[in-house]
Amino acid sequence: MRQELIQEHQGGMWLWLLQRVTAVVLVVGLAVHLIVLHAFNLGELTFDNVAARVASWFFAAVDLSLLGAGLFHALNGTRMVLLDYGFSGEVARCWGRSSGWWVWRPSDTAPGPSGRG
Amino acid sequence: MPEARFRVKRYDPEAPVMIGARYDEFTVPYESSLTVLEGLFYIQEHLDGSLAFRYCCRAAVCGSCAMYINGTYRLACQTNVRHLHGDAITVEPMPHIPLVKDLVSDMTDFFAKYEAIKPYLMRNSKTPDAEIPQSEADRKKLDMPIDCIMCGCCYSSCPSVWGEGSYLGPAALLKAYRFEVDSRDEAGKTRLPSFDNERGIYRCHTITNCVEACPKELNPTEAIQWLKGATVRRRLLGRAK
Repeated sequence: MRQELIQEHQGGMWLWLLQRVTAVVLVVGLAVHLIVLHAFNLGELTFDNVAARVASWFFAAVDLSLLGAGLFHALNGTRMVLLDYGFSGEVARCWGRSSGWWVWRPSDTAPGPSGRG
Repeated sequence: MPEARFRVKRYDPEAPVMIGARYDEFTVPYESSLTVLEGLFYIQEHLDGSLAFRYCCRAAVCGSCAMYINGTYRLACQTNVRHLHGDAITVEPMPHIPLVKDLVSDMTDFFAKYEAIKPYLMRNSKTPDAEIPQSEADRKKLDMPIDCIMCGCCYSSCPSVWGEGSYLGPAALLKAYRFEVDSRDEAGKTRLPSFDNERGIYRCHTITNCVEACPKELNPTEAIQWLKGATVRRRLLGRAK
C-alpha cells in the first residue's frame, strides 16, 4: 500500500471546479428560466410566437448553457457516485472512454492503489 | 463495593473463523475517577491477561487508545466511566479498520497515507541565521490542526474511506492543511500532487462524520475545503495563501 500511495496522481480539480460552476449556472439559470416563462408576458402561445422566441440568440444561448450545465452536472455526478461505490476501474474503462471522454484524462480516474481497476 | 460492567469485543486472529462477533463481560471495581482505560488495565491484570489494547500517554495526547466506546469514538484514557450511560460499558475497536487483535487496530495504511502527504515543513529560501518569524495571525491559523493526535477516529468514521480504501482520509488531509496553511512553508507545488486528486481532497463530500468523531473537537472537513480552494488558487493564480 505504501509504495502505491506515494505514486502521485494529479487531476480532478477541473472536474470538481466545473461541478460547482455548473451548479451555480443551474440554480441561477433555472430560476431565471422559470421566472421569465411564468411571470413575463411573452405573447400569445402560438407556433409562430414560440418559434420566433426559440430562434432568438438569447434564448438559444440560455437554453444551450442550461442543457450543457445540466448534462455535465448530471454525468459527472453519476460518475462520482459510481466512484464512491468502488467502481474506479469500471468508471475509467467504460465511462471515461465514452460519454465523458471530453472531460476525461487518465489521471482523473487513475485506479486506486487498493488494486481495484 | 460498587462495580462497573464491561462488555469487550474480542478478536483472535488465530482462532477459527466464527460467525458474529464475540463479546466478553467483565466486572470491575468502580470508583468515581475510573476511566475506561483503567478498567481495561484491571481486566488485563486480574481477569484476562490475553486482552490486547493499545495505550501510551494516558493523558489524551498520543491518540493510541482511540476506541469505539458505547457507540461513540472516544479516547479510553479520557473517558470517565461515570459519564457513560447504560447497564454496561461496551468497548469495541474502531470500526472499518483491519484488526490485529481484540482492540488493537492495524494502522499501517493510516500512517502510510500520513507519510504520503509529506508531513513536514519545506523551505526553498536560504536558511536564516535566527528563527523564522511568524505573525500572531499566521500562528493562530495553526491552532486547530496542530492539536491533531493522529488517533484515527476521523479516518475510521469517514464513509468515503469505507468506499475507497485508497482515499487519503481526513487525518492525512488535515496534516496537509497544517503545513499548507503555515506561513513558513514554501512547498509550492511540491506537496500538491499528493492530495490534488480524486484519492485526495476531491473525494471528500463534506459528510462531516470526522468532525463529529474527533475526540479533540477539530474540524478536518473545514481544512479539506480550504485545501480545495487553495489548490484552485495555486494552480490558477500561482498562490495559495
